[in-house]
Amino acid sequence: MRLLLWWAGRALSSAVTLLGISVLIFAALRLMPGGFAETILGPFATPEQKAELAARYGLDQSVLAQYGHWLAAVGTGDFGTSMISRQPVAAELAARLPVTARLTLLAVAAAVLAGVPLGVVTAVRARPGGGGGAGRLLSGLGVSVPEFALGSLVVFVVSRYGLQTTGYLLPAAVLSIFAISATARTTRDAVLGVLVEQHITAAVARGETPWFIVRHHILRNAAGPVLTLTATITAYLLGGALIVEYLFNLPGVGSYVVQAVGRRDYAVVQAGVLLAAAVFIVMNVLVDLLVGLVDPRLGRRA
Amino acid sequence: MKKLRLDPLSLAGLACLLLLVLLALGSLVDAAGDPDAIVGPRLRPPGPGWWLGTDNLGRSVLPRVMEGVGTTLLLSSAAVLVTAALSAGFGVLAGYRGGYLNELIMRVVEVLYSFPAIVLAVLVAAVAGPGQLAALASIVLVTIPLMTRLVRAAAVAVAGRDYVTAAVISGARLPRVLGRHVLPNVAGTIAVQGTYALSVGISVEGGLSFLGFGVQPPQASLGVLIRQGGTYMMAAPWLIIGPGAVLVLAILSINVFGDGLRDRFEPRETRSLV
Repeated sequence: MRLLLWWAGRALSSAVTLLGISVLIFAALRLMPGGFAETILGPFATPEQKAELAARYGLDQSVLAQYGHWLAAVGTGDFGTSMISRQPVAAELAARLPVTARLTLLAVAAAVLAGVPLGVVTAVRARPGGGGGAGRLLSGLGVSVPEFALGSLVVFVVSRYGLQTTGYLLPAAVLSIFAISATARTTRDAVLGVLVEQHITAAVARGETPWFIVRHHILRNAAGPVLTLTATITAYLLGGALIVEYLFNLPGVGSYVVQAVGRRDYAVVQAGVLLAAAVFIVMNVLVDLLVGLVDPRLGRRA
Repeated sequence: MKKLRLDPLSLAGLACLLLLVLLALGSLVDAAGDPDAIVGPRLRPPGPGWWLGTDNLGRSVLPRVMEGVGTTLLLSSAAVLVTAALSAGFGVLAGYRGGYLNELIMRVVEVLYSFPAIVLAVLVAAVAGPGQLAALASIVLVTIPLMTRLVRAAAVAVAGRDYVTAAVISGARLPRVLGRHVLPNVAGTIAVQGTYALSVGISVEGGLSFLGFGVQPPQASLGVLIRQGGTYMMAAPWLIIGPGAVLVLAILSINVFGDGLRDRFEPRETRSLV
């Protein structure tokens, strides 16, 4: 019963957060200098033309009324129509989602498959001279290279040597450097936290091998922070890896939304940001459920 | 004040950072020449007279990188100071007082946290107009959620301590309790998160300027230089290699220094399995 109440509260606060985001994005779009009409009609439009265009898209109503209409429509699953392409926003976003999803999947898979072992090894070999220091420095470097710097470098190398630039492998690799390194660092911290617990001392005293201890006593206990980070990275990437999409000319969600900001295509920006935030919130809820399953102590604490 | 002992790696990070600050200060007196002066032929590789090469206008890259480091560091540190002040205020208040105030502050933080960072930055740039102010505001908005959450968590832990209770019982008012007893004990968290926020800030400034929404040319920042260099990348790779290396060095040294600070302020037992 208490758990049920807790989840209800969680759902309520998520809804409040989403509402806050929708208000913020609505306000930001209306505060931007230069409106939709100016973008479409150019600088020589007459006031009558602007008024007609505004009326057609309901932009002549008060901002509050616009917000009300939009919110009501979103409630029924209608995200509106792109004012530029005149296509439903939902369909346009859906068309770009596979690109973003593929990038995300590749980068997150790399993060888990490479980052977790790297983190475990650097933690277990934390003793000076154990080889953990090198791994630590490497992952430190990995989180210190911004996407746009690494991406520019990769694009340069690829074009100088005439390598294949199409496909998802290279952009995903650029994204995964940060993801792998961040995962390795978090895993290392989590494992170090578990290592000093008494049941590990007991396991060492029983003469269990390090590898056995890692598999049976450490991984589950250290899973919480790592799962949370993985969810954050996944949600962040699903929101659109703007810079990598821009560098590699990929038609993903991020570049679509930012392009829409430039064109003042209100419906697209509103839908894009709201969906990205919703994904973020849902991922966080999912991961809390998952953490509870993997490490029941944490589930009960919730 | 206890003496701040740091491990060699963090000291190296700090030294590196100071070197970059020195470079930035050097650009104020044109130590390596005027960043806007045309010194030689266009797009020349590094050589005497232009130690990091020349750009598409024949300007030497080195003074431009020095100016760029200055812009980037100044913008990011100014933004992080704002973030630290706001996070300290809101985080301590939310953590100590709890209740509705806590709910309100954490809801706002949650809204910002759920926003995709780079989209948030682009929106800010669209509202405020591209430029330094937009870059500064973006860094603040991107770094504030995490810092406020962690300061709040630290303040919650401190709020229950005996010395805080003692202060309240002896009649201290809220500002005194917060300022004299809670804040000093969460200062370590603020310092550690501040360094990490600085490295995030540098990255955000770079990314935003790289996309054309941040610092505007002719003013140089590391992001601006990498953006401009990208156009001539094939003919003159040194245009992005120099600024890129400095950028990575700046972020890496700050991160390493931050790790050292964290080990100092949040020490913990460690042990090795093999």
